[in-house]
Amino acid sequence: MQARHSIRHKILAMKFATTLAALLVAIAAMISYDLWLYHRGWIADMTTQADFLGRTTAPALTFDDARVARENLELLRARPKIRAAAIYDARGRQFVGFALPDEAPFPQLPEADGARVERDSVVVFKRVVSNGEILGTVYIRAEYELYDRLLAYLGIAALVTAVAMVVALLFSRWVHRVVVAPLLAISTVAAEITEKHNFALRADERSKDEIGMLARSVNAMLAEIERATRELEASNLQFSAEVGERRRAEEEIRELNARLEQRVKERTSQLEYTNGELETFCYSVSHDLRAPLRAIDGFSQALLEDFSGELPKEGQRYLERIRSSTQRMGQLIEDLLNLSRVSRTELQLADVNLGEIAQQVVGELQLREPGRAVAVSIWEDMQGRADSRLVRAALENLIGNAWKFTSRKDEPRIEVGCLREGKRSTFFVRDNGAGFDMAYADKLFGAFQRLHSPQEYQGTGIGLATVQRIVHRHGGRIWAEAKPDKGAVFFFTLAPAAETGAPEPIAAEAAA
Amino acid sequence: MVSVTRRLLLLALLLPALSAIAQSAGREAEVKIKAAFLYKFGDFVEWPPSALERSGGRFTIGVLGADDIAAELERVVAERTIKGRPVSVRRIRRGDSLANLHMLFVGRSESLRLGEIMSATDGQPVLTVTETENALASGSMINFIAVDDKVRFDVALAPAGRGQLKISARLLAVARKVVAA
Repeated sequence: MQARHSIRHKILAMKFATTLAALLVAIAAMISYDLWLYHRGWIADMTTQADFLGRTTAPALTFDDARVARENLELLRARPKIRAAAIYDARGRQFVGFALPDEAPFPQLPEADGARVERDSVVVFKRVVSNGEILGTVYIRAEYELYDRLLAYLGIAALVTAVAMVVALLFSRWVHRVVVAPLLAISTVAAEITEKHNFALRADERSKDEIGMLARSVNAMLAEIERATRELEASNLQFSAEVGERRRAEEEIRELNARLEQRVKERTSQLEYTNGELETFCYSVSHDLRAPLRAIDGFSQALLEDFSGELPKEGQRYLERIRSSTQRMGQLIEDLLNLSRVSRTELQLADVNLGEIAQQVVGELQLREPGRAVAVSIWEDMQGRADSRLVRAALENLIGNAWKFTSRKDEPRIEVGCLREGKRSTFFVRDNGAGFDMAYADKLFGAFQRLHSPQEYQGTGIGLATVQRIVHRHGGRIWAEAKPDKGAVFFFTLAPAAETGAPEPIAAEAAA
Repeated sequence: MVSVTRRLLLLALLLPALSAIAQSAGREAEVKIKAAFLYKFGDFVEWPPSALERSGGRFTIGVLGADDIAAELERVVAERTIKGRPVSVRRIRRGDSLANLHMLFVGRSESLRLGEIMSATDGQPVLTVTETENALASGSMINFIAVDDKVRFDVALAPAGRGQLKISARLLAVARKVVAA
């Protein structure tokens, strides 16, 4: 406010100074010009007057007629500014003269032609010449009002200046009232709004000029700001309410999650405990079952060997069947033990080449059934990080299945490969064997689930369950795609999905 | 009454002597002034151009019966001109021709023959100047008279008009008396 006022005063002072300067210069110029005109005009006038008087008086001088000369001189009384006048004859003696009261004495002798200013009077001497002869001299002393005029002008100038200043002051007041004050009012409103954040304030918009327009624009803007602020506040309120709600909900969810996790942990530990119990039970049962089974088989074999002559054929056949059943049971127990072992042993991860393992597995299978001719192709460079013993077991099962289910094909083919995409490796075992109906795909990896009768293909129904458990223990996934009589593909990964990504598209490609 | 009578008596006794002194000294000044005036009249009077052409381009002033004035006039006009012409002063004797004059001064001594002389120049472009009382009645144009020891003159316009002379109003302004008829 202080600075603004001081600027206003400065501008006012400047305006006044400018006006004053212009006025003074103009007045000075006018006065100088006028005084100059006056000086020149008055001297010319008096010189002319003297000349005129000289001409008029020439006959009187010529004929030495003082009466007539005095009459001529008396005419000058019509001009009260002429204080004194005289006519000197050719010899310089005063011929006639007149002077107003209190006037200085006449000069003793006439001076040379010319006019000069003597303080407050102008003195003119003018020769009277006729026919080249000097008849005399006219002397005129007249008032010289230059200083009076100057004083009068200065008075007028002072008056004019004063009036002009007053007018300028009034005008400036008016300008201030009409132009500056509304602007200041708007600026005050703006400052108040900035200070107090009160957007309800409004500028005075009664003026019909540009300032009014400005005020209206400012007001419109303020209204807009007020509205926006209000909306913002409302939405802020709503938002904070929502945030609170959401936070509460999140809190609840977190609580629920925690509770759920707690419960899951409890259940898991219960389950793990139960599983462990079950597995221990299963292992010990299987383990304990092997000894009596081996006894049954052993004694059946001893009966057949030691008493083959005494036993009828019928009896021998029964014994044979007992032995085959016990052997199958032994196999079953072995498988169950394997399955249980898969769950119980610690994972020993190392970099293994699945291709090598597959090659060894296929070699063993060929050794066992040298009569079969299967076209096996195993891809090279199938590195993976896994427990080599468990991976071997898984491959034994998968390749063994492929070997088994291609046994009725004319041109059996088995392919073991690996699809890589970045760090993700998806291994697969493909065959062109019996395949299966995808409708039963979900039953595929359950223990004792069989999609084919034992008469068609041998098997305990535990192999794929074992494979799945091995894959799961590595954190991977296993799935299959097949068509009846067209073969099957088993895909598996050996790392969690988060590390390997989604394997499905590649699997579909490999199955095609 | 006594004192007045005595003063008058004294005056009567002294008068001839005073007059003689005054006249000898006064005449000298008078001659100078009159000669100067005669010369100056030329500035205030207009002659018809034909008249100025006569007498060989010289402005001729005739002086009759006043040799002292003629002599003074000769001195005055010696280096001067009237109407841009050199001036000749002609001393005229009785019976001399009055032709080819521009101005004619008739002295007091010829006052008795004034009417005769004036009638001779009447109607001619000759400015006639006299120094005799009532000379205007005789047909003179300008007549010197003495007023308070000063030389003044009267002017008669009628004879000047007859002589086709124009006398300036400025001259008339300083004349003692102007007679129109």
